Amino acid sequence: MTLISTLLRRGFLALVALFIAAPLIVVIGVSFNATRRMSFPPTQLSLKWYKAFFTDAEWVSSLQTSLTISALAASLAVLIALPIAYAVWRYQSRIAQALAGAGSGLFLLPGVVTALMFSAFWGVVGHVGRVENVVLSHAVILLGVPIAMLSVGFQSIDRALIEAAQTMGARDSEAFNMVVRPAMAPYILCALVYVFVLSLNEYLIAYMVAGFNVQTLPIRIFASMRSGYQPTMCVGAVLFIALGFSAFSFLAWIGDLPKLMGRHRPLEN
Amino acid sequence: MTDVAADTRPAEADPARTERMVLTGLLALPALFLTVLSLVPLLLLLQLSVAHHDEGGLWRPSLELTQYAKLLNPQFLKVAAFSISLAIGTAIVSVAIAFPAAYFISRMKRRAQVAWLVFLLSTLSLSEVLIVFSFQVLLSGAGAMVKTLMALGLMSSAHSLYPSFGAVQACLIYVVLPYIILFLYPAVSQLDDDIPAAASTMGASPVWTFLTVTTPIVRGPLLSAGLLVVIWTVGTYLTPLVLGRPQNWTIGVQISNAAMTTGDLPLAAAQAVALVCAMVGLLGLTRWLSGQKDAQA
Repeated sequence: MTLISTLLRRGFLALVALFIAAPLIVVIGVSFNATRRMSFPPTQLSLKWYKAFFTDAEWVSSLQTSLTISALAASLAVLIALPIAYAVWRYQSRIAQALAGAGSGLFLLPGVVTALMFSAFWGVVGHVGRVENVVLSHAVILLGVPIAMLSVGFQSIDRALIEAAQTMGARDSEAFNMVVRPAMAPYILCALVYVFVLSLNEYLIAYMVAGFNVQTLPIRIFASMRSGYQPTMCVGAVLFIALGFSAFSFLAWIGDLPKLMGRHRPLEN
Repeated sequence: MTDVAADTRPAEADPARTERMVLTGLLALPALFLTVLSLVPLLLLLQLSVAHHDEGGLWRPSLELTQYAKLLNPQFLKVAAFSISLAIGTAIVSVAIAFPAAYFISRMKRRAQVAWLVFLLSTLSLSEVLIVFSFQVLLSGAGAMVKTLMALGLMSSAHSLYPSFGAVQACLIYVVLPYIILFLYPAVSQLDDDIPAAASTMGASPVWTFLTVTTPIVRGPLLSAGLLVVIWTVGTYLTPLVLGRPQNWTIGVQISNAAMTTGDLPLAAAQAVALVCAMVGLLGLTRWLSGQKDAQA
């Protein structure tokens, strides 16, 4: 009985892992394939598409645009979410709760609706096809993510620790530096990485607020779908996957990843 | 010295006032940000949906319901019904896979759990644009999927598996699956192992215990996860466009085409508002359903 259920469980998880990994394997395979044909598995390995990617000014500039937009959107979203989540936790402020609700609300709308909203908004403002449109739109739409993550972080702080610090004579600001700051640092980093990755790969909102004027990597790939695929586009994707993998591995290395992802119950090694 | 003491005393004496000042300092900027970039665009969308559409992609403010009247045509209703059923199908299948997966992962040893979490989070780095591309490669006539099916004898002649409804459905499940596993992870990791253990000592099979004991405990998160999937996939654009036939195109394709190709922003806005209303209705229904079950329990 136990043997069968163990086998079933392992088999099920292996299938899920295979399903989730399949497109990653395809993209990585195509990027190392020697021929232009989109065949999988690759027939002969080659780095020529990597060379083509880094010698093509347009691909490199798309990569830079994408990285800049995502870094700015992530920083902005976390900067806005942090005081809201702090005010909810520290003061149970009604206004902060309302802001947290409003901030999460846009994330709960279908992507095409928010894309349309912002496309109309920037059109009326008279500020069309600009990088900052994408940054601001991404920051506000993805705001729900850092609000949720930072709230989880604040809730994980033991209030008794702060009270202990205060009874021992620490002022509010000292208690904050001793208890709140170190406890929140990994959550802030995690939220930054998460929003960064989500913004990096978002194409519909970016496309509808900036058109083909702002060529992020996903938009360039999206545009190249009309003229036929080139293996070069997979190179950018492999870079993104490597970047995401490194960032999350780093988080797992410096922090307690299961806890960061919302697990409360302690986990033995 | 005395002056400083006199200055600080009132602030200490009135903590409520200090708190108000701190809160204002903390929340002024976020409130401004959210008003300008969330409330204003939302109101604009509503205004746009009742605006008058002129030829050539222009519109002027008005208060007319012509756009909403256009939504009643059977063609649009068919697309809307298809989009919602596609989204609900995606939700049911993805939650049915993600729930046991998240449960098993949360029961693993720390190292294995961390590895799974890093793996799932890393896959979020793959843009939907590239997921769609990968599915094209995998499902093409010479792709891995067709070769596997032929080797297993499940397919007699090699032909491309897309465009098709199945390809759209599979790709949408793929897109949401890692998010839903990560969404359910906190809830399932909180589950107590003693209850299923007690049930199995009384002779219940693990699968039966999972369905009748474990599942009802996390009914709330499961319903929320399903709802999230519906919201995320109902307006999907790229997947049906590339992997589907025109009859598999969703309301997302309609809205983007109305906005970007036809230039009929008021119509797109009315479609978007209708979509949001449908989602709010669904939210209410889900709340009501989970409330009903709570009342029974």
